[in-house]
Amino acid sequence: MLGEDSRDARRTERYLDGLLAADERHAPAVPVDADLDPGVELAAGRLRSGLVRLHPSFRFEESLATTLASAAIRLRAGLPVDDVTPASDLGRVAPFPGRSEYEVEGVAAAAGAATVAGPDAPAPRLQTGPAPAWRRLPEMAGHPSRPLLVGGVGVGVASAALSLGAYVAWRHSHPAAGRMGRAARAAHGRSGRSGQGRRTGVINGILGVVS
Amino acid sequence: MSRSVFGRVEEGTRPARLDRDRGLVEAARRDPSRFDALYRKYLAQVYSYAYYELRDHHAAEDATGRIFMQALVGLPRFEERVDAFIAARTPATAADSAELSTFRVWLFRIARNVVANERRRDRRRPISSLDEAAGFTAPGDVVETAAARETVDAAWQAVARLPEDRRRAVILRFVDEMSTAEIAAVLDRSEGAVRVLLHRALRSVAEDLRGRLS
Repeated sequence: MLGEDSRDARRTERYLDGLLAADERHAPAVPVDADLDPGVELAAGRLRSGLVRLHPSFRFEESLATTLASAAIRLRAGLPVDDVTPASDLGRVAPFPGRSEYEVEGVAAAAGAATVAGPDAPAPRLQTGPAPAWRRLPEMAGHPSRPLLVGGVGVGVASAALSLGAYVAWRHSHPAAGRMGRAARAAHGRSGRSGQGRRTGVINGILGVVS
Repeated sequence: MSRSVFGRVEEGTRPARLDRDRGLVEAARRDPSRFDALYRKYLAQVYSYAYYELRDHHAAEDATGRIFMQALVGLPRFEERVDAFIAARTPATAADSAELSTFRVWLFRIARNVVANERRRDRRRPISSLDEAAGFTAPGDVVETAAARETVDAAWQAVARLPEDRRRAVILRFVDEMSTAEIAAVLDRSEGAVRVLLHRALRSVAEDLRGRLS
């Protein structure tokens, strides 16, 4: 027989599962068990909205990608990976050879633009905003309403802002014409016009974050 | 020898369903440069976990770099073992099973070890700096309302005051959005223990919030 604590814990788990599912469905309300401790419900609500997911600076992201790419090349060649350039060696941005289909084209261009400012660019204040649709990562795309901090915590936001600005400019002048972009549009049956509308929404979202 | 992600696996239960990261993992095994897809997919989650645990931006970046490097080098030894995990959940649909990722659990087990080593190595790090970090989350020109700022501050501070094991479970649940089964696999505890950890953590946070309100 379950103890009182275990029963309450199961009730709490069901509620938390419901919260997670509601986020995925973008549903505002979550069914609540009448026996659920109201304090637990309050705490879960606060943590749900208050515990933001963090993203490191884009400069760090690209730098680590470069480090991993170097390591991957050495691994493929059967060499040790001990002497790979560390991720903290900032300023060099190189697209990873095997780019994922989850990435929006242009992110590399944006990241490249970020390096133009150099590592001494002044760091603006930390930005928060809606989960960035422009990232298009599946795990984030599923939760566009979740808050997200970009640029690490208080550091490196300059590169994030520059990346966004560069991406906006790049996206205006470059419709998604890559292989993955074409494949995605074909799969979803999107016309160029509807795609344009979606991109406008994305850009507006970005401007909302940056401005 | 490969090590199972999920320790307690019953005989006769073999991986049968697709793991959502199987394609990416297999591609990265064939060509390590394809690891980039997994890296981009999980970067924010891993960095968030490291930051909430280490409470220092630079330490979190260092740890994140080590975690992904270990994952890249160790990928040939990764073994997808969804047995116990899926047997316990019995997903109703293929879509449900597609949500599962033993790679994510494996990656977070690496993260847990790297972060634990980091904490051991630098015990001088002030453990209250999460409160300082909460200040970063509330610049007036970004967060739209005072209520939103208070929510973020209250959540960070309440979590900072939790005992280590409860805090870790809360972070994995709310920040990384893991299920109880995934958290149990990452923390190497039973699902029942994780359930109780989370329940008690929420009660502690509730008391904390009540105290602040009163």
